[in-house]
Amino acid sequence: MRRYVLRRLLLAIPVLLLASVIVFGLMRVMPGDALITLMGESGNIGERELAHVRQQLHLDLPYYQQYAIWLWQLVSLRPGDSIFTGEPITTSLAKSIPVTVELTVLALVLGLVIAIPIGVISATRQDTASDYVGRVVAVSGLSLPDFWLATLVITFAALWFHWIPPIGYTSFWESPLRNLQQFVLPAAVLGFRLSAATMRMTRSTVLEVLREDYVRTAWAKGLGGRIVVYKHALKNALIPVVTIVGGQLGVLLAGAVVVESIFALPGMGRLTVEAILYRDYPVVQTNVMLVATTLVTLNLMVDLSYAWLDPRIRYR
Amino acid sequence: MRTDDAGRAASPRMNRRDFVRTTAVGLGAAAAVGASPRRARAATPYPDWIPRSDKPAKSGSSMTRASSWDPPLIDPRLTQSIGLFQFATLTSNRLVRYVFSDEASGPSDLTLKGDLAESWQASPDHRVWTFKLRQGVKWHNVAPVNGREFVAADVKYCFEQYAKEGVQSFNFQEIEAIETPDKYTVRLHLNSPNVLLAQNLAEPIALLFAREVLEQDGDLKKRLVGTGPYMLKEHTRKVRVVLARHPDYFDKGRPYLDQYTILSTPDAATRLAAFRTGQSDILWVASPSEVETVRKSNPSALVQSYHNTLAPFGLALAQDRAPFSDVRVRRAISMAIDRQKMVDTVFEGHGIPGWGVPYIYYADKQPTLAQLGPWFQYRPAEAKKLLAEAGHPNGFSTTLFYYEYFPQMTSEVQLVQQDLKKNLNIDVKITKLDYTTYYGRYVESKWDGMCWGFQSGHGIGLDERTYQFLHSKSPKNFFRVNDPVVDDLCVKLRQTPDPAQQRALTKKLVEREFDQAYRLWMPYDNGFLVFQPHVRNVAAMALRRSDGYGASTLARTWFDK
Amino acid sequence: MSAVTARATAFQQPSVEKISRVRQLWDALRRKPLGAVSAALIVAIVFTALFAGVLAPFDPLATRPEIRLAAPSWEHPFGTDDIGRDVFSRIIYGARISLWVGLLAVGIGTAAGMVIGLVCGYCEGRVDMILQRIMDAVQAIPALVLALAIVSVLRPNTTNAMIAIAMVIIPGNSRIVRGAVLSAKQNHYVEAAQAIGCRHPRIILGHILPNVTAPILIIASIWLGNAILIEATLSFLGVGTQPPTPSWGLMLSSTGRAFMEQAPWLAIFPGLAISLAVLAFNLFGDTLRDAWDPRLRNTR
Repeated sequence: MRRYVLRRLLLAIPVLLLASVIVFGLMRVMPGDALITLMGESGNIGERELAHVRQQLHLDLPYYQQYAIWLWQLVSLRPGDSIFTGEPITTSLAKSIPVTVELTVLALVLGLVIAIPIGVISATRQDTASDYVGRVVAVSGLSLPDFWLATLVITFAALWFHWIPPIGYTSFWESPLRNLQQFVLPAAVLGFRLSAATMRMTRSTVLEVLREDYVRTAWAKGLGGRIVVYKHALKNALIPVVTIVGGQLGVLLAGAVVVESIFALPGMGRLTVEAILYRDYPVVQTNVMLVATTLVTLNLMVDLSYAWLDPRIRYR
Repeated sequence: MRTDDAGRAASPRMNRRDFVRTTAVGLGAAAAVGASPRRARAATPYPDWIPRSDKPAKSGSSMTRASSWDPPLIDPRLTQSIGLFQFATLTSNRLVRYVFSDEASGPSDLTLKGDLAESWQASPDHRVWTFKLRQGVKWHNVAPVNGREFVAADVKYCFEQYAKEGVQSFNFQEIEAIETPDKYTVRLHLNSPNVLLAQNLAEPIALLFAREVLEQDGDLKKRLVGTGPYMLKEHTRKVRVVLARHPDYFDKGRPYLDQYTILSTPDAATRLAAFRTGQSDILWVASPSEVETVRKSNPSALVQSYHNTLAPFGLALAQDRAPFSDVRVRRAISMAIDRQKMVDTVFEGHGIPGWGVPYIYYADKQPTLAQLGPWFQYRPAEAKKLLAEAGHPNGFSTTLFYYEYFPQMTSEVQLVQQDLKKNLNIDVKITKLDYTTYYGRYVESKWDGMCWGFQSGHGIGLDERTYQFLHSKSPKNFFRVNDPVVDDLCVKLRQTPDPAQQRALTKKLVEREFDQAYRLWMPYDNGFLVFQPHVRNVAAMALRRSDGYGASTLARTWFDK
Repeated sequence: MSAVTARATAFQQPSVEKISRVRQLWDALRRKPLGAVSAALIVAIVFTALFAGVLAPFDPLATRPEIRLAAPSWEHPFGTDDIGRDVFSRIIYGARISLWVGLLAVGIGTAAGMVIGLVCGYCEGRVDMILQRIMDAVQAIPALVLALAIVSVLRPNTTNAMIAIAMVIIPGNSRIVRGAVLSAKQNHYVEAAQAIGCRHPRIILGHILPNVTAPILIIASIWLGNAILIEATLSFLGVGTQPPTPSWGLMLSSTGRAFMEQAPWLAIFPGLAISLAVLAFNLFGDTLRDAWDPRLRNTR
């Protein structure tokens, strides 16, 4: 087991290195320059000033040198400043990470709280009306673009209920009520999509498990239906659900840029996407590497948990 | 000698001429509304001016506004972005300013008033300008200035810094020397005569910042300290900007509002929702039908119909090379585009066909399409003939890149594409770019083909709108105009003190521009500003929208609640 | 990851039964009404895309700004858009764009993923390890960020959006194919084929590939729907399809949102179109899995 853990850990390092090369390469190949955007509909930063700033940011060095410098900065946890705003990247991350984490956690909670019971009901009442309704609702969650759902939510909240979340992020510690008010709608929109995917997976795995022999044995022993379902079937059905959640986590962490833009939340998604659109290299590279490292770590933990649960996998 | 008349107690109410005009507009609108909803409405039932309130102003209350712009930086030397100046014009002053909405006689009032300067005077040759500063003006009482007095040396420092580096350096490089004979006098020596200098110094971007901040921090990116009616209390990037009242502001008794919060709200639907639910006090919308939807949910909202005195966007052609270097090609393209139809349809009749220099500098009334000259009329047959004459009887292919600043722009771009194809067989391939790519490519001025180009967002003064954008040597000449006649007229304008002569020269310049089809201005909206019912003294003026570059007028705003 | 690999292990069908796959699908369609509906929807979409020229009453690019924002009527069943183009015709042609987006993105992504997965699974060893690490690295980068970066590097248009989406699909596909190949290799008949001296390509094509097609097609059908959604999001961010192309995603994200209250039909119809298409592809994918996944077959 220990060898397996060690092997997986060692393999994660080249993965992250390769990811860093990909991100670096992509950013450098993009046309346009963050420095230009600073001008803001006016015109003239002189060539001299531009050259000066470029030198400060090492943009005049050959690419491999820039890469090495950046990598070293990353590893020593001093990623530098944003080209566009001049703000230290650590500061902007410190401000946006809590937003994204909170949004992700709330979306997961809301999504799972809806999805798992519906998935179970759908499975236990397979092919009945409630199954169909559940499946169609779930799939519609997957088939609506999230910018559309978010727009509908905010527009009709204002029109019908004369209420929208207070704009302007307030942290949970400053004012829990206001914070939750701000997050409930965006988390619900994100959670809806998550719940769609999770509900279907829950349903299919519960269906599988319910046909397994040990479940039939439990029924034969005379155990009540619900106990059987929740105790035996659900526990095993949760494993693939964890996979789905892991997959969705990538989407959520990266950014729910669309939901963040529409609900005016300053999360990682907006930070990263806006940085890409403004060609703010250091910010994009650092953010993506942070998310990539988190994802790789999470995947590693998930895989290790599978290996622990299912010995066959260790010897793959 | 021009004196500041801010001391005068009451400003004139809307005079009879304005009243009659507004009523006429209203009656005309009422008649037009009866017409079929599909036909363009020539006038709307909303006033183009909200005069100052007669009631005595109340102090207190907080204003909020959901804004689409987030400041990239707070250093006015490094950016001219509206994201910064939507509030920097409230934290800081200029030497001179334009009238505020409670002093103005109407939206097109461009009277100059002293801001930090009490009075100013130019030498007869307009090369030496002397400004007498207000006394007893205090900087904000925060470190590192700690409320000390504003003096002439501060002006000298700021202007020298602006000239040294940054986006404003071209504007300030005409100053060759600055004298400060005493604490309250600044004398500017220009390297060539410029009668319009005061206007340049009244631009919203010509802010005076605290020298200690630059000296201590090395830049102005971390602290924004000024002499203005509001102090920057909080700036959280992508979240909000909070301005708090400056208790020692030199204009005693003002500002009236205790606080002004700007909420960063990138999405248009969310800004609308914020206004509807009272989280935002000012909303801008583009078209009459949008105003109707807002009024359905907020029937008591105040609406000002905002008339643009220029179009900020136009079709820029790479006219330093073929085929657009041929004036016949440019004229043909201009005649093949149906501008009036765009105004009638895309802007629902509430728009202008488009021109570059603000008309108030050479005319009393807004020009009609017919007055823009022969090349701006829709004459497709003539256009085809002219293009054939220029050697392109079967048209040609070209490209057009743009950034979607607002949805109607995409409508216009596609209509232009259709018009050119239908009338001239010119195949236009459209590329919609993201902001950075578009902006970088446009200002680099090396692009080929066509572009939906712009002129400065902040420019109010005549010099800015002529010399800065049309002179062949100017770095802001993105349309690549290169005409000695134009250059000559721009320079002459700077040397003509007589207002009547200025108007005549400006008219000549504009006529030359239209005649040579240098900049094919495109229709633009006459948008609407919508205010919550309790807001007073907030009307937007020409070239100075109160939610944007004209935010300094909010120093006079108060809430009737 | 491992759960999916474990699933792929189940596909131990000898290639002789390929004919019965279609049979299985037909049976599944007959038994499951939702599956039949989704199949019918897909056929409708393909039909619309193929015969758009005949079905659309107007030129989707013809502007008539005088009648802009007109509500649905007999002449224009879905109304007109912000410059007077017929929305119904644009939706019909939009089917072509959406299918094109989906098929190209998923096609490239699937083909490339399959090749990589086959190479990895068959060769194993160092080649496998290196390629898999590259796939992991690409997958570690969030999908939207990757797609956005790629589209920004290439110029923003529909084709490049598809290439970007394909890049996002490749790692996942390669992993599934690899898993299927690994499990197929354990089959006795593969050993036997190797023992009697069959050459590699024959083994791959003859024995391994058939086992791989089932999971690939299932995933592909779901990704067809996702591709349409990602293209819509890229259009929302301003880097997707170029105007005046009538893509559903562009219609919904630009004019649909901008004129939502004045002309809701501009959003309703593209939104419905997208939803139905994605719904159809997802449900069809479900049906494929129901038909071909033996572990579930007994549960029906």
